[in-house]
Amino acid sequence: MISMTALVIAGLSVLFFILAQSRALAAANGRLGNLHSRPSYHGAYVFLWVILIGLSVLIALSLIWGWIIDKALMSQIAVGLADKASIEGNLVLSDAKAIANGGTPSTIDALRQQVGLRFASMDGFRIWGSVAFAIGASCAAGFVTLRRVGVDFRARNRTERIIETILWCCAAVAVLTTIGILLSLIFETLIFMSNIGWRIDKFLLGTTWSPLSGVQDGVIDVEKIGALPLFVGTLLITAIAMLVAVPIGLFAAIYLSDFADARVRTVAKPVLEILAGIPTVVYGFFAAITVAPFIRQAGEAMGLSVASESALAAGVVMGIMIIPFISSLSDDVINAVPQSLRDGSYGLGATKAETIRQVVLPAALPGIVSAVLLGVSRAVGETMIVVMAAGQGANLSVNPFAAVTTVTVQIVMLITGDTEASVAAGPAFTLGFTLFCVTLILNIIALRVVRKFREAYD
Amino acid sequence: MFETKFSAKDVDVFYGTNHAIKKVSVEIPDKTVTAFIGPSGCGKSTFLRCLNRMNDTIAVCKVSGDIRLDGEDIYAGDVDPVQLRAKVGIVFQKPNPFPKSIYDNVAYGPRIHGLTASKAELDDVVEKSLRRAALWNESKDRLTAPGTSLSGGQQQRLCIARAIATSPEVLLMDEPCSALDPIATAQIEDLIAELRANFSVIIVTHSMQQAARVSQKTAFFHLGILVEHGDTTKIFTNPSDQRTQDYITGRFG
Amino acid sequence: MIENQPRAANSIHGSVVSNARLKRRHAAETRLKAYGILALTLAGLALVALLWSVFGKASLALSEHYVTLPVSVETGDSALLAKADFEAITKDSIAARFPEASSREDRKQRAELVSGGAVFALRDAVLAQPTLALAPFEHAFLASDTVDLYLKGESGALADQAKAGDLTVTVDAGEVEFVSSQSDFTAILALVRTDLVDQAKKLRDKAQLQDNGVVEYTRRAETETGEKKTKDSDEAAKRAGKRDALLAEALDLEQRAASPEGREKLTDEMPSLLIKLGETWIKVGEIGSAAGKGEIVGAIPHQSAYSGKDWQFMVNPTPEASRKITDKQTIWIETLRQSGDIESKFNWRFFTAGDSREPELAGIWGAAVGSFWTMLVTLLLAFPTGVLAAIYLEEFAPKNRMTDFIEVNINNLAAVPSIVFGLLGLAFCLGFLGIPRSAPLAGGIVLALMTLPTIIITSRTSVRAVPPSIRDAALGVGASKLQTSFHHVLPLAMPGILTGVIIGMARALGETAPLIMIGMVAFIVDIPRGITDSATVLPVQIYRWSDFPERAFEARTAAAICVLLVFLIAMNAVAVFLRNRFERRW
Repeated sequence: MISMTALVIAGLSVLFFILAQSRALAAANGRLGNLHSRPSYHGAYVFLWVILIGLSVLIALSLIWGWIIDKALMSQIAVGLADKASIEGNLVLSDAKAIANGGTPSTIDALRQQVGLRFASMDGFRIWGSVAFAIGASCAAGFVTLRRVGVDFRARNRTERIIETILWCCAAVAVLTTIGILLSLIFETLIFMSNIGWRIDKFLLGTTWSPLSGVQDGVIDVEKIGALPLFVGTLLITAIAMLVAVPIGLFAAIYLSDFADARVRTVAKPVLEILAGIPTVVYGFFAAITVAPFIRQAGEAMGLSVASESALAAGVVMGIMIIPFISSLSDDVINAVPQSLRDGSYGLGATKAETIRQVVLPAALPGIVSAVLLGVSRAVGETMIVVMAAGQGANLSVNPFAAVTTVTVQIVMLITGDTEASVAAGPAFTLGFTLFCVTLILNIIALRVVRKFREAYD
Repeated sequence: MFETKFSAKDVDVFYGTNHAIKKVSVEIPDKTVTAFIGPSGCGKSTFLRCLNRMNDTIAVCKVSGDIRLDGEDIYAGDVDPVQLRAKVGIVFQKPNPFPKSIYDNVAYGPRIHGLTASKAELDDVVEKSLRRAALWNESKDRLTAPGTSLSGGQQQRLCIARAIATSPEVLLMDEPCSALDPIATAQIEDLIAELRANFSVIIVTHSMQQAARVSQKTAFFHLGILVEHGDTTKIFTNPSDQRTQDYITGRFG
Repeated sequence: MIENQPRAANSIHGSVVSNARLKRRHAAETRLKAYGILALTLAGLALVALLWSVFGKASLALSEHYVTLPVSVETGDSALLAKADFEAITKDSIAARFPEASSREDRKQRAELVSGGAVFALRDAVLAQPTLALAPFEHAFLASDTVDLYLKGESGALADQAKAGDLTVTVDAGEVEFVSSQSDFTAILALVRTDLVDQAKKLRDKAQLQDNGVVEYTRRAETETGEKKTKDSDEAAKRAGKRDALLAEALDLEQRAASPEGREKLTDEMPSLLIKLGETWIKVGEIGSAAGKGEIVGAIPHQSAYSGKDWQFMVNPTPEASRKITDKQTIWIETLRQSGDIESKFNWRFFTAGDSREPELAGIWGAAVGSFWTMLVTLLLAFPTGVLAAIYLEEFAPKNRMTDFIEVNINNLAAVPSIVFGLLGLAFCLGFLGIPRSAPLAGGIVLALMTLPTIIITSRTSVRAVPPSIRDAALGVGASKLQTSFHHVLPLAMPGILTGVIIGMARALGETAPLIMIGMVAFIVDIPRGITDSATVLPVQIYRWSDFPERAFEARTAAAICVLLVFLIAMNAVAVFLRNRFERRW
């Protein structure tokens, strides 16, 4: 129904476009030169107003109205289920909606049917109300703007102003996304923090992670929300990944920028680009099916006991994934070091190696540091490789042969687990918030450093 | 009057298919300032870069002919360009101090070539080089400051100090003053006059006045050909070739 | 001192000292170069290993096998047919072919020769052509995944062994004694005994570990007192006991391996030995150098004794314990293969079927369609928004703090972990907007938000690359800023923008984590028919399958990866083509 209305509004706006255009033509009286703006701009001006007003009223009204209905029904349910938790209430509500929409509810009882009936009537009212208001608003907008069409009306300037505003809104989506991320993460994090009595120290430094263990009774055991093993596991795998990626990526970049001839480059660059383009789930498969068993067997042959989900396997594969990242960013900054510095060094009789080690690398260092930081940020936030190849149990260990778990693995486990979503969301979003903050800090530092570097040589 | 330092015979340089230097033969005396002049793109810088094999770093560049330093062929197979460049230093058009301290900039050459045995000796080399480059008084209190913090003229003098710290026998200068203001230019020119006592200096310059001021010998290049070569006074007062005449009187350039 | 530098007079070859130093300096250069080559080689090897492991495994999913069996439904009445128990009919068909399986376990193994989905295929075939059912007919049943893998040689293969002697067999109530006139089994016996030695060695290694524990706890007990001391002494004693038991076991195995005479019992951790006598098979349980004992599998022989040259001795080197298919099943399969009732076909099903819990029935079509809907939503949202935002930032944005803030935001968003976008989707799309779980609409919105920064950044680069002279020309003839942007700048920047969009979409196509967050990881058999149906996408399908224990799913996972990679390569190829063909260098 809503999408049909959107189509109707679109049709209306086209209609108003034609109306406005012909009105402008009529006003021009046969000589287009009389008009300040060409007729199509008049049409576009009216068109934009009609469609924007109509659609925004439609979307806003149906969302807000729906939210109000939910509130009203929840209060009704709360009266009916005075002694139950709010999760139960949500379940009743979704069942009632299913009854009303002809779906399959989990159970049917008197309360659910009663609520369902009320929902059906309220929702019908909401839909028809939204539709009527939206169409009314767009027609109103159409007639108001249509009256402005005339010889002196600066339709082009007005239209362009509207379009520029739309452009601005598109650019602002990035900001809105950041705000959306922050709001959704902070909201659940605050609830979780208040549930654990603001024992942030227990969350950051506790060593036992089992956040859902006491949830059935509606209590969260403050002793079991220690995320330290997750942080240590994440750091361990990240460290292994960087040990693989930084030397290989950096040496590859040095070789490609200062030593390799065109032939080597035409082979090596695509190899690195393919590595960069492979989805992480494929790396995860590679880690779980090929690398982990290989490392386990190799370890056993050397008499080491290696867990089948060792941190080493996940770390090494993550390192392979990050190699192209490090190498392409380093390649960029190494190439950005001006040739004049290299010439200066060669002119003094330095070899290529000396020039690179003592002149180029120190000059490119800020850029390389920022590449490494961005690499760390990616490794910390990487999910699929660790979900598929790292452990799930939160044991505090820095042994690369042991199975450790990471922040991202725990988020996935909590969200995809069997526990009721609203309960698991607390610890999951809190972990997500921690992850977001850490990567944000790394990114900001890295972007700052690299900007300074670019300013120095541009 | 002086012994010959460099002698070039029938030198050709190609950039890919572009024939940049055509059959250039020239003799450059020791302890003298020789100026290469000529319009832009005439090949004077290219020829200069041949003299310490800087062109080796450009993949498409091919050099043929015979260039001898003290009678030894510098393009012979057993000559290491690294060793050669320690003896034939170069200063570039744009000052290019390394992003290191002033001290490290000057000490770079002696360090990589292992010219000094101790820290004290290295300190001494750095001080001497900076003094010769007339930069010591301005920089002695801030040797640890980055070389890039100096002004343009100071940076160029730092690059000269850096080049002479490896005690080369020849100093090549590729338009060393073109990026500098007149006062800095005057300082560098004074410096070149002093350096002549110890080195053979070859300077590429756009400015005929500069060539007249600093050099004893002048070579005029045009379209990759060495048109005329001789004493500076003679070239500027009584050139034997019409093209030289036209260039120094400003008919083209 | 500069003047006192040691140098050979008038030589550019340097002194002896400086030459030695130079050699070291050049060696350092060679080393650096070698590190570079090593790094590139390692990266290349990693890629080769990855692709090799994916393609190697994917090749197993290319074909599927069918087992042809006679079927009798015995009715042509379509009303009756619709109600017929095709599961029983299928079971009867297999039972008719291999009647010798009598025990419950044997019958279960026998039924597992064909796929669980074969019943429905039979039903469909019969209902489509009811006249078929009037008489017994031949039907090709889809083989189960274990049979399929065995036929592809993934569970070992039966290898014929050389033999020279006459075999004398005596049957005694299912137990079979056999004697060869030559020492035909010496080689295999030696193999079995090396196996024993290996096992003994492993036991000794374990014993060594226990012994380390004994030493450690004894040492601790010496320095401790009281309760701890007794506890540690007890632990030491316990470990000593375990160690001795392990050593005794190892010794026993070694003695067995060393004794020249006698027979060895075969366990399911050793290679399987089978003897074939016409239609009759013997699964060997005990073997000596020339004789052994076993049980009869397959057709029961008519006479109770046999003697002659007409026998085959076969070995499957993969132990029964480390494969899914049993020896009995391999025998049935070999029988079917010999009678030409097994055929292999290209696995079209993989490309046309939806998901299934049975590996041999599972396909990627559902996930591919899910990916299509998701990508459609992503493209429709991210492409216009990204391009318009890029135009705004490059052409209109004033240089103020708001613009700076937007820029910083975009750069940061490009580096935010994808899982955080998943959490945003969970809270915003599912929680706030109320979009149903697992819907491509929600997935598309999340991926659009995720790819938006990439699209904006690449689009800005292309817009910036359009030279200012074009803008000046347009503005000079009286076009407004907006007209200039949309009539001149945007068309010229379009190839670059499209390249960026395609690369961004390719990345979105391979993205998994955020979609898992919004529930696209559910088991969905149906093909989604719109952007609000429950769906999954290719990478998530890969993730789900990789988690399943069946080996056949491993091959299908790898094959699905290949399909995904083909799409990605195609998209990147288009991007490269666009870049080379249309992008102008100014």
